[in-house]
Amino acid sequence: MKPTTRTLLTALGLAATATFATGASLTFYEESLPSSMNPLFASSMVDNRVHELVLDRIYHHDPITNELVSDVVERWELADGGKGVRLYLKKGIKWHDGQSMTAEDVCFTIDSMLDEGTPSPIAEKKRAVFAGCDAEKNDVALVKFVKIFHNPLNRLGIHILPKHVFGETAIRPDHQFSNRPVGTGPMKGSMGRRGVVFEKYKNVHHDPQIDQMTLQEGGDPLVQVRTLLNNGVQGIIAVPPPYRADVSASDELTLKSYDLRSWWFVAVNQEKAYLADKRVRQALNLIVDRTDLRQLSIGVKPGEQNSPCEFISGPFVQTSPYYNRSVPTQPRSDKEKAFLLLKEAGLKQVGGRWHYNGQPITMRIGMKAPLNNEAPDLLSQVGNQLGAAGFDRQEFRITVDDWNRKVLTGQATDYDLVVGKWSFGLVEDVNPLFHTRKDNRGALNIFNYANPQVDALLAQFDAARTDTEAKDAYHKLHEKLAEELPYLFLWKLDTKSAWRTEVRGNTISPYFYWTAFDSWKYGS
Amino acid sequence: MKRWWIRPLVRVVAACLLPVAVPAVITAFIWALPGDPASIICPPELCGGTAELAEAWNLDQGATHFYTTWMGAAMTGDFGNSWRLQPGVPVGELLASSIPWTAALVVLAFVPLLVGAAGAAARIIPRQVDAILQAVGLTPSVVLALCAAAVVTITYGAFAFDDEAMRVKLLLGALCLGLADQALSGAVTGVRGLMEEERKQRYVQIAILRGESVLSNTLPNTLGALAGQMRARLLHLLSGAVIVEVVIRIDGLGDLLWQGTLSQDFGVVLAAAFGFALLSALLLLLQALVEVATALHVRRSPAGVVS
Repeated sequence: MKPTTRTLLTALGLAATATFATGASLTFYEESLPSSMNPLFASSMVDNRVHELVLDRIYHHDPITNELVSDVVERWELADGGKGVRLYLKKGIKWHDGQSMTAEDVCFTIDSMLDEGTPSPIAEKKRAVFAGCDAEKNDVALVKFVKIFHNPLNRLGIHILPKHVFGETAIRPDHQFSNRPVGTGPMKGSMGRRGVVFEKYKNVHHDPQIDQMTLQEGGDPLVQVRTLLNNGVQGIIAVPPPYRADVSASDELTLKSYDLRSWWFVAVNQEKAYLADKRVRQALNLIVDRTDLRQLSIGVKPGEQNSPCEFISGPFVQTSPYYNRSVPTQPRSDKEKAFLLLKEAGLKQVGGRWHYNGQPITMRIGMKAPLNNEAPDLLSQVGNQLGAAGFDRQEFRITVDDWNRKVLTGQATDYDLVVGKWSFGLVEDVNPLFHTRKDNRGALNIFNYANPQVDALLAQFDAARTDTEAKDAYHKLHEKLAEELPYLFLWKLDTKSAWRTEVRGNTISPYFYWTAFDSWKYGS
Repeated sequence: MKRWWIRPLVRVVAACLLPVAVPAVITAFIWALPGDPASIICPPELCGGTAELAEAWNLDQGATHFYTTWMGAAMTGDFGNSWRLQPGVPVGELLASSIPWTAALVVLAFVPLLVGAAGAAARIIPRQVDAILQAVGLTPSVVLALCAAAVVTITYGAFAFDDEAMRVKLLLGALCLGLADQALSGAVTGVRGLMEEERKQRYVQIAILRGESVLSNTLPNTLGALAGQMRARLLHLLSGAVIVEVVIRIDGLGDLLWQGTLSQDFGVVLAAAFGFALLSALLLLLQALVEVATALHVRRSPAGVVS
């Protein structure tokens, strides 16, 4: 290209950038585009975040005080002998199309979840929570539960759907709502092929300060950070650790913590004969040197202060009330002990390679491909450590589609190990991860792990009426899983967002991100 | 040649069959994939009740039922809603927003081809230029498109989908499409070869001796072949447009087809492929029309001759 053309293009680009950067319009990079703007068909964290901008949940946790609050409910009372709650809605709340929000909408939302014709796994899970709903008055809804819950409002973190848009309670994923939702949230959203455009919608319960926002798919993290530095965009939802130093070094950008309660793991396939023995799993847990892995993939040096990466010994982050601190983490490898365990389990080392029943062991190790952005080379490093310990291995990057279709449905049994990450909100319900797959339970049980003692502890958590009972159940679960090791628990990795300093009041809520969006401001 | 009408007739038949055959092949492909189609489109962990969805999307009664229902609706302009790519959005709407981009891209890329072909036919473009054009044409469209995408990303960053950037992308895309994969050089050398061959004919030599214009003598006899060449060039551009649109990120029909395939939104794939088939059919019909018009023209008795 000729220099004159390049200059012309650059000038056009700068002009465009200047034009857009000075308005009250803000652009940010997400990990991907949302797959659906209908919360019943959410399948990723991007979906969950987007829904928070467009729709209101009945109850949510205040990002600052952590109290359960509601933007749409004036007051509530227990009803139906504790098996229900009566909600008195705020008056004057409008949907984005101008219609009034009523108790009919709250009940429609619950009825649509209870309708077997709604093909949503999210709705399916709610069928074990809700029994029904009556719109007693225009602004009074009686929500009925299947049993008495110790904190019923905790169960009402569901987004309200507009009855007048759907008509029938059987909601399909290809309804236009999935692309152009009508909500009561602070922003009106519309998804296109390249991004989502959000426009401010002032309501009695929301007064957003930003007129327009555009969500775009991020792509390469380096390009994202460079574009942010050049004010091409104003924010990035998740900045991978290797790029955080660049952001921190700039006076024009701020790094903000995003509490996602995400933890990383290596799931172990016990359907493989040699991995069915607990001692082999314990040996693998001792072979993996988490300190080295963390350094080589995330760049955290041993002993580094304020590390974004904290080791864990069970299925919770260390700040969680459910984390059992009496179970120690395993930061360093202990190969001597590991090899003893392997030999006890009947494995033999021939020519430096481990054999089981006379056959050399070749491990097939998979990792969800997008995780490589956050922890580059983690898959290779795990493979290298196992290779150095005497296991042959093959490494595979699993596409998001294959992850959803095979791994999450328990059909990826050709893998021996799978590296992944789970993210949670304030309610850290790990039951779907470890419960035996039966009767709609264990929906996310990767390698179809089954253990009656674990099932009993999960049932104990489900039946808990108090926070203490729930904590007790999960503390025991943590201890049991650290011994059984269906997963090798790795670490909690901090998620950090980066925003330009012109974006102010940007309180980031745990998990849902945009809950306090009304306080966000952009511009002078 | 007495049976001059056979060739145009074959083209008309092919034009009629193409829009019917392409969706049939895709439907057969969907059913050939392992697993039931509804689960492929919307996996169970996203959509729990795939049986209900299969019924709603006409996927529950076999390939023939699905195909006939889809074709029937498509004939009335109803392509249904997108299932995965942009859930709930009418596919017709996606097509309507995509076709203008692809049309603009192909037309912009076709203009230099047309000018080059005319220049070659009229001997305005010298033969020496062919080597340069062929050398440039050796570059695959994907390479040129990647360079164009880099320019756009560096220049526009997050604003790569604003009006101004889209116009630049369209121009760069047309340039890639027109130059790469021997598109321009093929048009120039192809037309030159055809016209030069015709010039060697005896009737043209006599016409030259009689002081008549060469083009007015050769054109009627070469018009059919020229139309064929131009159709091939346009098809070449259309297929190249898929690559260019995907790489430079232009919201055209090719990109829609690609995105639909990635998200396994077969409704979108079927409609986009149907769109391509219709465009190909239209080109076939145009070629047939030119052939018929030329045949009738050359068989007309010359003025002043009494039969």
